[in-house]
Amino acid sequence: MSIETPGSAVLSVRDLGVRFNSENGVVNAVRGVNFDVMPGKTLGIVGESGSGKSVTSMAVMGLLPTTAEITGSVRLNGTELLGLSDKAMCRYRGKDIAMVFQDPLSSLTPVYTVGTQIVEALTIHNPTMSKLAKEARAVELLAMVGIPSPKDRLKAFPHEFSGGMRQRVMIAIAIANNPRVLIADEPTTALDVTIQAQVLEVLQTAQQETGAAVVMITHDLGVVAGIADDIMVMYAGKPVETGTVEDIYYNPRMPYTMGLLGAVPRVDVGEKSSLVPIDGVPPNLLFEPTGCSFAPRCPLVTDACLDGEPALLKSPGSAAHHAACIRSGELGGDADAREIFHAPPVPVSRFDRIPREERKTVLQLTDVRKHFPLLKGALIKRKVGTVKAVDGLSFDIREGECFSIVGESGSGKTTTLLEIMEFHKDQDGEVVIGGISNKQAADAKTKSAMRKELQMVFQDPTGALDPRFTVYEVLAEPLENLGMARPEIRKRIMELMRLVGLQPDHVNRFPNQFSGGQRQRIGIARALAVNPKLVVLDEPVSALDVSVQAGVINLLDKLRAELGLSYLMVAHDLSVVRHISNRVAVMYLGKIVEIGDVDSVFDRPRHPYTRSLLSAIPVPDPQVERNRERIILQGDLPSPLDAPKGCNFASRCPVFAALPEAKQQKCLSTEPPLMPVPASPPGNIADQQFACFFPDGELDSEMVVSHEDPVVRAP
Amino acid sequence: MTTSNAIDPAAVTETHLQDGEVVIGKTTIILRRFLRNKTAVAGLVIFLALTVFSFVGGFFTTWDKSTIDPFNIGMPPSAEHLLGTSQAGIDLYAMVVEGTRISILIGLIVGLVSVLVAAVYGCTMAYFGGKVDKVMLFILEALIMMPALLVVAVVTSGGGANLRDQLPSWLLLILVLLVFSWMGAARLIRSLSMSLMQRDFIKAAQYMGVPARRIVWRHLVPNIGSLLVLDITRGVTGAILAEVAFSFIGIGIKVPDVSLGVLIGGATSQVQTFPWMFWVPLLVMFLLTGSLAMMNDGLRDAFDPTSSSFGKARKAGPGKTQARKTSTSTLPAKRRNP
Repeated sequence: MSIETPGSAVLSVRDLGVRFNSENGVVNAVRGVNFDVMPGKTLGIVGESGSGKSVTSMAVMGLLPTTAEITGSVRLNGTELLGLSDKAMCRYRGKDIAMVFQDPLSSLTPVYTVGTQIVEALTIHNPTMSKLAKEARAVELLAMVGIPSPKDRLKAFPHEFSGGMRQRVMIAIAIANNPRVLIADEPTTALDVTIQAQVLEVLQTAQQETGAAVVMITHDLGVVAGIADDIMVMYAGKPVETGTVEDIYYNPRMPYTMGLLGAVPRVDVGEKSSLVPIDGVPPNLLFEPTGCSFAPRCPLVTDACLDGEPALLKSPGSAAHHAACIRSGELGGDADAREIFHAPPVPVSRFDRIPREERKTVLQLTDVRKHFPLLKGALIKRKVGTVKAVDGLSFDIREGECFSIVGESGSGKTTTLLEIMEFHKDQDGEVVIGGISNKQAADAKTKSAMRKELQMVFQDPTGALDPRFTVYEVLAEPLENLGMARPEIRKRIMELMRLVGLQPDHVNRFPNQFSGGQRQRIGIARALAVNPKLVVLDEPVSALDVSVQAGVINLLDKLRAELGLSYLMVAHDLSVVRHISNRVAVMYLGKIVEIGDVDSVFDRPRHPYTRSLLSAIPVPDPQVERNRERIILQGDLPSPLDAPKGCNFASRCPVFAALPEAKQQKCLSTEPPLMPVPASPPGNIADQQFACFFPDGELDSEMVVSHEDPVVRAP
Repeated sequence: MTTSNAIDPAAVTETHLQDGEVVIGKTTIILRRFLRNKTAVAGLVIFLALTVFSFVGGFFTTWDKSTIDPFNIGMPPSAEHLLGTSQAGIDLYAMVVEGTRISILIGLIVGLVSVLVAAVYGCTMAYFGGKVDKVMLFILEALIMMPALLVVAVVTSGGGANLRDQLPSWLLLILVLLVFSWMGAARLIRSLSMSLMQRDFIKAAQYMGVPARRIVWRHLVPNIGSLLVLDITRGVTGAILAEVAFSFIGIGIKVPDVSLGVLIGGATSQVQTFPWMFWVPLLVMFLLTGSLAMMNDGLRDAFDPTSSSFGKARKAGPGKTQARKTSTSTLPAKRRNP
């Protein structure tokens, strides 16, 4: 491949190849990556896990283990970086080329103050800089990334910062020496959506301040839609499509890209349609592919596809648009990914036709509370306060519906699930499962009757399966526990395997022999084994890759319709929630602030918190992303300890900040109750309730960010 | 900047485990990694050889540990007595065989049983938590505080006369060692199980209503298996050393029973006059504990998921790797052509 290096490119990578040795043989993790980044521009590298995107960034930084073999060329302003010794690389790392890592919690040394760590980055590359100057620069940097009272915060330790704040500090360290290139490896994946929006803003500010070229690595097509100029889609260690943002999002020419775009549910689209599932798993990088690496999963595969790997060739569209597909010419802008990938029809449940009020209740919570006493003191513990993790929660779930709880981490979603799963008779509040109340659950028989109605699917499919159990043993455990006979267990397991779309002859395999999506299917099969009425889903797809996620969501949808199941789902991804739920509750600090029909809540959010949450979700559509207004909430979730007496949300509320003094007093002193939304045609009661006194109040202009006119927020 | 961000080559391959031919059983991987560590294999061979020697070595000599050869008292190694004789005229070779057997026996029994006790105790503590954990932890701490040395001294020499009449001294020592050897491992297992308890599959079993005892036995114990294997080899070494130490200061195994410790302890005062009496058992003891230490190192490598025992990609191996190597080296040439 011979692509001319544009003279102005600050970082240009040519034919980069990385190979690792593994127990199974040599893995070709990256096979021929080429890209150029211009100063001030952003390149987004998108791909699933194992596609080689992180390995590429590590190779550029020279951070790969010495056991890896790296070939090709990485040039920074014309200087070759590959082959430099670790010591020689140190002159560039942190000065000309800097990196922001994924996990902010472990990227800072816990024993040094934040100030020391920023000054350290400055000292290494500017040995002559005076101490005062370095400190001043550190304060300046912290202010730039939006940390309040930066001067005092210099002396703070990392544990005194929240995750989002730590990521800001990481960005401050990365831009300390005005790098030419900033590599961000999934910088917001570990953060909440509202914090993600804040950090993305900070990254853009940092780029404007330093004029650096940014390489943004992510699996989330929404995150890069708004901020990237160019996109490179990677698959099996190779770029399969490159181009400008518009090319990739509006005119994809490679079936894989089309599938990826179709696999993401949209938070801004209410119309129900199935997601695009991409069957199969990424290829094995141990063997050199003989044909197109995507061919085994591609619905458009022809014999010609298997004959040699297609090169990245020029596609119609902008000058930069290249795709590695021999049929890219046929895939015009009007090609429908749903048709190409044979997306299944939208399943219809028999309960969908029955009005909600007439269906049976499968789960009812009445005024459930969970308060944790906060103790202090070494020897004699005294109570210094109460953490109200769940504070007076009431809702019900009817047959055949999916009810979701959303909110930031710390809002009490998981505690709510635990309160339901670990029901006992001394609980504060009532939990009624399948008509039996927790107050009656004294003896083992009643308890197991309740357990039978209620099963759970966990977030992490790997952690949820005992690695020492075969699939058969995993699925047999709940059945054995019911005292089922052996031949019946066998029959039921075969049934379950087919139900969740796994091959029945795989029952003797161990969980580590399956991919993430298949493991989650096993988890679902285990939950369904005892024929429960209600399945509790704790972030069921957040640990899965986008293409696999679509398949699991479609499966959950299908099972709900076919088996008449009800779901209680907790998720932070509002797009997924919108896609599969019927009703939704938004939680903030242990309380429901808005509840109702999913379309009403998402299309006409009343509570300011719901509004900011929805506006923080990135949409995989560059046009929409660039033009819309965002509400960027200030700060983090307050500690439940100093929750205000009145409305919990007042401290971060964009409406509250703009209210006149007299009205503010009302928010601070009285707790708003859940009120129904006034129905538009009288008599027709809308299924939506919210807890806010001034839902129509104006938003504080400080917290609204529009991208047409980027506002650099003052510290 | 931090190790957690480093690329784990295992994770790169992980998603491709689907295809049948790539799947390698965990046992195979562990075995392969162990065999790749030459020191560990040597350790295993030495240990097995010593074990075999201790059981069949007796057949190669006509002497036994209680027969006195009045014509050869305190003689250096000779054709008749391969390793020489003691002051009392007893064949050293026969004593070493017997001593090695007793030492290995003590080591294996104490190592295995104490780890088993530790596993059950530790897992039970972790599973139930709360009050049960507190009480059990207190017992454990109390045992750690107890001066093991004194108890051994009292049981094997002073008090416990009744016990001593009924049991051979090596069995008595095993019992005493057992009582004091499992606490450290139990604490380690407790903390490891506690982190396992946080894993979702334990929660899943609880939400299914699986009884506690089944969860401990079926989910907890097998999942700390690799730690248990390591603990066993370490426990064996520890027990052998403890036996040697106790016998050396004269409170462990009592004559007429022989162990390596007894032999070494008895010969210290006469290193100058009867050097073979001291150096031969000492050498055997070094071989025994040394081989176990070598094995332990290899086992740790084999069980450690982050170990890099599969070597470098750069290193050209036989076959496929070799072919790849040549193909990549021709790449730059190809690039220059057009």
